[in-house]
Amino acid sequence: MKTIVYFLLSCITFMPHYAHSFCGFYVAKADTELFNEKSEVILTRDGFETVLTMSNDFKGDVKDFAMVIPVPTVLSRNNIKVVDRYIFDRLNGYSGPRLVEYYDEHPCYRYDYRMMESMSIPAMEVMEDASGAMEFDDYQVTIEASYTVGEYDILLLSAQESSGLKRWLTDNGYQIPEKAEAILEPYLKSDMKFFVAKVNLEEYGQSDYQNLRPIQIRYNHPRFMLPIRLGMANAKGSQDLIVYAMTPRGRVEATNYQTVDIPSNFNIPTFITDKFSTFYKDLFAKAYRRNGRNAVFVEYAWDLSSSNYTKCDPCATTPPAYSELIDAGVHWIDYEDVSGWGGADYAGNLFFTRLHVRYDNLHFPSDLEFHVTSNMTSHQGRYVMNHMYDGPIECEGDTDLHYYLDVKDRRENELDNLAYYAGWDKNKYRSYVSAIDAHLERVDPEGKRGNVLFLFKHFGRNILRHSLIPHYHYAITILVGILGLVLMRHFVRRKEVLRVQ
Amino acid sequence: MTVNRLRPFLQDARHYQMTYLSIFLLTGILFLEWHHNLSHYAVLIVAALCIQSMGMIAVNKYNKGWWKSALITSLGLCLLCKTGSLQTTLLAATLAIGSKFIIRFRGKHLFNPVNFGLIATSLITQDSWVSPGQWGSHLILLLVLGALGFIVLAKVQRWDAPLTFFIVFGGLMYANIVWYKGWDFGVFLHSITSGTLVLFAFYMITDPMTTPNHRTGRILWIGLVSFLSFVLVTQFYFYSAPIWVLFFMSPLVPLFDKYWKAPKYVWAPKTPLVIHS
Repeated sequence: MKTIVYFLLSCITFMPHYAHSFCGFYVAKADTELFNEKSEVILTRDGFETVLTMSNDFKGDVKDFAMVIPVPTVLSRNNIKVVDRYIFDRLNGYSGPRLVEYYDEHPCYRYDYRMMESMSIPAMEVMEDASGAMEFDDYQVTIEASYTVGEYDILLLSAQESSGLKRWLTDNGYQIPEKAEAILEPYLKSDMKFFVAKVNLEEYGQSDYQNLRPIQIRYNHPRFMLPIRLGMANAKGSQDLIVYAMTPRGRVEATNYQTVDIPSNFNIPTFITDKFSTFYKDLFAKAYRRNGRNAVFVEYAWDLSSSNYTKCDPCATTPPAYSELIDAGVHWIDYEDVSGWGGADYAGNLFFTRLHVRYDNLHFPSDLEFHVTSNMTSHQGRYVMNHMYDGPIECEGDTDLHYYLDVKDRRENELDNLAYYAGWDKNKYRSYVSAIDAHLERVDPEGKRGNVLFLFKHFGRNILRHSLIPHYHYAITILVGILGLVLMRHFVRRKEVLRVQ
Repeated sequence: MTVNRLRPFLQDARHYQMTYLSIFLLTGILFLEWHHNLSHYAVLIVAALCIQSMGMIAVNKYNKGWWKSALITSLGLCLLCKTGSLQTTLLAATLAIGSKFIIRFRGKHLFNPVNFGLIATSLITQDSWVSPGQWGSHLILLLVLGALGFIVLAKVQRWDAPLTFFIVFGGLMYANIVWYKGWDFGVFLHSITSGTLVLFAFYMITDPMTTPNHRTGRILWIGLVSFLSFVLVTQFYFYSAPIWVLFFMSPLVPLFDKYWKAPKYVWAPKTPLVIHS
């Protein structure tokens, strides 16, 4: 029997516990410890129309919360929204790296049976309220707009110079990191405005929400970027950021850093089941180091257009629905009730890209700039476990011996993958391979497996079943090609020589 | 013996360019995970060679080194042009090579074939793009490629082109990023050390066939390209700006050639190289 079980990995849970934030910094109003362990954003882009939703996992006293982010334009009231946190969990669940588990069928017979387990996340309703105001003061800081949105008091500031802005923020009770002034300056010079948010305690007290909700802003500007530099002002180590990007065309990729697909689609040992998050964490760290610590990784890329019926394969959860996409800021799709398998309840083109960036001061000297490409290639972090058939194998010939030899090879290969992709020491897991020896001993007491003739047969059998590793195919093709070229050249030369004579 | 054999190879600057672009491509495939695009590369190279030979037959002008410039163009496209499907790749190769035969002015083709292929494909299909981030930020790699680039350019005597580009474009970027905005030097370095820019400087604007023949004209023309690119990059956040600017500036080359006259560049000189001792 072949069963598939999906283990959802919420990438976020194992992130390093630094006080950090993605764009802009969270600043304390008092000298309290800040603890903001997650940073996730949803970024949608249609033409120049950009919607940015920032998750907020501020842990601590809400009255100490404050957030400063640079935005390209002054936002109007109806371009600022507070949305519910569930949308992040939903997208994370849908696009997270997945562990797929298969059980070998009985080596003597073949039949195919699939079972899937999926998860659903309860949805919550969205609430919103607001008021507007405007004022000026003499720090050479202009308050372009001031709103109350949900539980937040929001100001949009523009300033002549960074020292004035810094003074204003300090005097208004925001604790700005020492290095922040030098970083504020370039943003001001680039004509950017500052979006400053803190919690309106009155509104927060009236709401039923336990945590601060994500803020969603919408603007129309050619610039498509995330200002990560500002967040580095108060961070020491590296920080992780997950971007759920959605566009009507294709993948989103960074223009000023390399965008790389995360290693995927290979077999890993079965003992990974309960260590999957550690495994993925190590895999990511290894890929991150291998790519010079300054790459952007694609963890998921899929065409979610209504015309594409396969919205995930394998599906970890049900693909996002119309209402969820609207909450995430996807404004170009239309509601359309299509029933039936695989049908979406929306019409329109949509491409989903999940990017994972681990950034630090040294390797990410400038902000993340993106562009939308027409690349529609799918990619997902998918890791496969194959369970051995455990029952008795009683059929003719050496099927059992061949099977156990294959399993042993496969396990060896799985350990190699573990060492190569995640950097684990495979010598620690020798017992995983040697466990097969008992079976081999049982089915082949005379040691037939050492016989050259048998091995030849085994190898031939594997070739017939196309179970050779694709790399060999490439190597053989290249070798044959080179040989052909050499022979051709030799032949042509001989002909030339003959002609001269 | 070996010297005699190598001489024809060393005489033709196109061999240098081919080697140079192949090094670029191999580096990418081996170290920068470009191996997913191998089928695109194969289609590009084969299609470019086929179309070049068809074009040669059509204009009835066959010469021995016909495959060289087609190979160079296809290698350039491999490095710069990303497409969503193999059909688009095929179209890019066709447009690039086709432009050499169709869009000609006074015996010179007007557009750099790679540049034309890139822009025309993206205008027609919306299915191709340039990936400026594909090179990563490997400073040493880019320095090596830059140094190799100068060797190639010393051969075609066009070293003034990338120099002008880097001085004007780099200078303006430095002034904007470091002096005006007050970012670190690292930000400037990061913005200027992209493989696409290196390739643009050492391969596209130095193409002896599609840039002004006279040095003064060339420096002025490249200065203009650099300035316009700078404006587009900083004011309109247009990341592949230099490539677009080059496309729209190419038709101006005959004008520059008219005011500053110089003989047209010849790839492989007919007279053998004579070394006086």
